[in-house]
Amino acid sequence: MEKTKGFIIVSSKKRNFYLYSINLAESLRDYYEPEDECKICLVTEERFLDDRGRDVADDILFCDDHYRAKLWGMAKSPYDITMYIDADMECQHEDIIKVWDEMKDHDVVFTALTDDRDYIYAERDFDTPEGKSKFTLCGAVCLYDMSKPIVREFMDDWWDLTYRQMNDTWWPEGYADSLKSWDQFSLWWLTEKEEKYKDLKVGIFDDDLRWNYYNALNWARTKPENGPVILRHFSAGLNKDTPIV
Amino acid sequence: MSRKQWMDNAFWENEDKKKLNCILELEDDVGRVTSQQMLLHRHDKDGSENELFNEVINDIGEEIIDKSTEDRVVRKKAEVEEESIRDEEHNKARKLEKLFNYKMEAFEVEDIKNCKNRKLKAKLRRAKSKIEVDLYSIMILQDQLEAETNGKD
Repeated sequence: MEKTKGFIIVSSKKRNFYLYSINLAESLRDYYEPEDECKICLVTEERFLDDRGRDVADDILFCDDHYRAKLWGMAKSPYDITMYIDADMECQHEDIIKVWDEMKDHDVVFTALTDDRDYIYAERDFDTPEGKSKFTLCGAVCLYDMSKPIVREFMDDWWDLTYRQMNDTWWPEGYADSLKSWDQFSLWWLTEKEEKYKDLKVGIFDDDLRWNYYNALNWARTKPENGPVILRHFSAGLNKDTPIV
Repeated sequence: MSRKQWMDNAFWENEDKKKLNCILELEDDVGRVTSQQMLLHRHDKDGSENELFNEVINDIGEEIIDKSTEDRVVRKKAEVEEESIRDEEHNKARKLEKLFNYKMEAFEVEDIKNCKNRKLKAKLRRAKSKIEVDLYSIMILQDQLEAETNGKD
């Protein structure tokens, strides 16, 4: 049986994120051909849901107001091949249909955090008991194959570990407290330190800037090599707390 | 053993070649290296020749200093151009963010929020300027009005 494919978008805590997630979902439908094959799962709080959400989503899951509910949602995806996208992003190109080809023989696929893009990152380098290290994977988009048990387990663990690091029930010795708010840390821990995921096949999107172009990047310095931006990330420039209207 | 060396990237401060910008590198007996940037005048205040200035000219050679000066002018010009392009791109990015926020506001207008015309909403989302957002917003409102009127008929 062919694997099901779909997008997952999560908006929790702030209503603005819900509005961004509606915009993202509608933008996916704007560009995805054929549109009726564009399956979208919206994970949000019940208090935010309105007709726009019901109209644009094929599947709706209710989450609580956790700051990193995205990881809870990712682990609950109803699709085999799932593309998670941060709510404050927008689809801007029809190549979005090609996203499934990026799965290749990987288990999970991310975009990269690299030295040449360092100028926009808030916190990337950190000390470990074994010496200096740095985050290399960005969790803003993630393509993963939920039909594989190891991936399902990984997604559950990523959520669980993030939840515990944020409520202070888990934290390894020798790491700065400032890292606790980053799901990149739990991701780093699972992929670098956890024995059971040593064989997890982690990939990076080809020409990954197309799949997660931070608007804060300077186009003159950093741009995709093989085509226009497919998913633009507005992250830094948005006022997420002030009501839009 | 101590060492004293003028770096070969010295350049003229101005076209009359009366001021020379250069770096002196010094190494002491235990191998510690220090460098000092200097602005040397061809003549001292009393009009006599500046010995240090002449020393640099003799050590490096005027041709090399001329070449360094030319290279530096080209390099500085390129840097200014690159900075200007970066500034321009930075401004474009800020403008895009503002436009995105503006669109989000438009999508919160009741009639636009409730609009089922996906084509028009997609046009609004793809708008490249505020004027375009306003135009598609008006078209959506008209479309909504027509839909309401037809519904009444």
